Amino acid sequence: MTRYELLIRISLQKYKAQTLIISLQNGLEGYRARLGADIVVVPSSSQGHGTVDNVLLQGITGNYYIPQDSLKKLDSIEGIEKSTSQFYLTSAKASCCSARVQIIGFDPETDFTILPWISSSTSPEMAQGDIIIGSDIAYPADGSLRFYGESYRVAGQLEKTGTGLDNAVFTTRDTISKMARSASAGVERESLRGVDLVMAASCVLIKVRDGYDISAFADDINIHVPKVRAVPSVSMIGSVADGLGNVSVFISIITAGIWLIAVVIIIAVFALMMNERKKEFAVLRVAGASGKMIISAVSAEAALISTAGALTGLGVSLLLSSPLSESIRQHFSLPFLQPDAAVMVILSVGAVIMPVMLGVLAAMLSAHRITRNESGLLLREDA
Amino acid sequence: MKLKAEKVGRRYFRSGKDTNFFYAVQQLDFEPEEGSVTVITGRSGSGKTTLINMLCGLLTPSDGSVFLDGRDIYELSDRERSLLRNRSFGIIPQGQTGLQCLTVAENVLLPVLMYGRTGEKEDKAKKLLEMLGIDDLRDVYSNELSGGELRRMAVARALINDPEIIIADEPTADLDADTTVLVMKLLKERAKDGASVIIVTHDRDVIPYADSVYTMDKGELKKQ
Repeated sequence: MTRYELLIRISLQKYKAQTLIISLQNGLEGYRARLGADIVVVPSSSQGHGTVDNVLLQGITGNYYIPQDSLKKLDSIEGIEKSTSQFYLTSAKASCCSARVQIIGFDPETDFTILPWISSSTSPEMAQGDIIIGSDIAYPADGSLRFYGESYRVAGQLEKTGTGLDNAVFTTRDTISKMARSASAGVERESLRGVDLVMAASCVLIKVRDGYDISAFADDINIHVPKVRAVPSVSMIGSVADGLGNVSVFISIITAGIWLIAVVIIIAVFALMMNERKKEFAVLRVAGASGKMIISAVSAEAALISTAGALTGLGVSLLLSSPLSESIRQHFSLPFLQPDAAVMVILSVGAVIMPVMLGVLAAMLSAHRITRNESGLLLREDA
Repeated sequence: MKLKAEKVGRRYFRSGKDTNFFYAVQQLDFEPEEGSVTVITGRSGSGKTTLINMLCGLLTPSDGSVFLDGRDIYELSDRERSLLRNRSFGIIPQGQTGLQCLTVAENVLLPVLMYGRTGEKEDKAKKLLEMLGIDDLRDVYSNELSGGELRRMAVARALINDPEIIIADEPTADLDADTTVLVMKLLKERAKDGASVIIVTHDRDVIPYADSVYTMDKGELKKQ
């Protein structure tokens, strides 16, 4: 491996590792902000496929609904400050639909999780039949998407979150009920059989009154309300945060190890290269070069090689990071949101400066060691 | 410029029966004449190269001093001694010393380029290359040259700054008889212009050009 290749790899590794950690942290922050509720209630039958965290994190789609009697029992529980229900519908992978996405219907009158986010990201003005789409969904020039044979106007597109919500469509309960009616008459006849398309809910998000213990409240729901599963959102985030923490520590350890090895290898490589060039330095000394002149020349050469190596490494990282970010998100099963441009610039500058400094320092050390030797002895060695 | 070595000696580590070091050059006095060619002969390992490396500031003596116009060159800083070597010394080292990344012309002009002084020296380089019969190779990289061509390039490089002290270690090695004459005539000419020329050699053909001949044996220098 040449000095150039080595520096490319160091730059690549530094940039990738830091971008990965920051992207995961950004993703978690976005996830925390979107969730908003203290407790998420889903039907116990949803376990294993389209649970809320799966929908949010990975975009795993599913049609599941809380039974009406369970919804009534939930309303009667003491201690709820506010609650809102959401209706999930998975569009079909058929000619009736533009794309297979998770459609989330919310109630504008009671919603406290989606509307604040929509209003911070796009215009919240939604007429009957309007939809708002996640950042990763492409839509045609006419500004509408088709679901179950009907066209719906795209009223806005949300900013990227790094979660499954980037592939979701948001609309009001009225609109999603209309979609569900079309779906139940067609491709989703089986999955929507017996579902009250106006009143049904896929999940209920609850904000608990001050003074109530959230975990105990969730336990109460699990004990007293049949056929549902109540999960404190903190525990959902906690498991994600734990995962993120483990991944971050793992990446940091690997990165530190690679850097340590890289420092040792690069110093050794430069020392070997300088050793091979002893005669060249002796000739320069004979012609009248001082030790400082040789160290300066070697440092300038190392800076050029290191900069070229680091820039190539950075270029490869930038080329790879965008297409691979989705597969990284799926691989780690964690929210993944790339840093903004300013942070990317800082990371890029760091990914260039660090290997350049390392290369120049290693070259200077080796050149200093060589020039300390007497030129007469260097000439004798190579005579 | 007057070059003078006083009680100059150099010892190296070598484990032996009674002692752990030996003197490659014994503490000796040496004072080559200005405007003359001084030839030092002797068997391999007798200390000739060690002596001339000490004389030109490339090897610090273990004992004694080397003076140039009364100034001890080893009391100068590395920068000062390097500049002195660049301006006042023309050194032809033993072995092949071409920098492969440079052309013949660039190798010859190296001592000039190093301190940013070009100009009229380019004409001087052309003239030297012509005199040494390698002008047609001026744009060729030195790794494409033969041993004799490299040797002539090293001679041209040593003379580019019109040095007052010329120190040559086997300058005619790798050269045929005709080219040996060419090189020796050039060095003799420089001596006539006032330079001190010190040559270390095994080549008997060089002796006729010498104004004084020394023999080195086991680190001791004897005038013939």
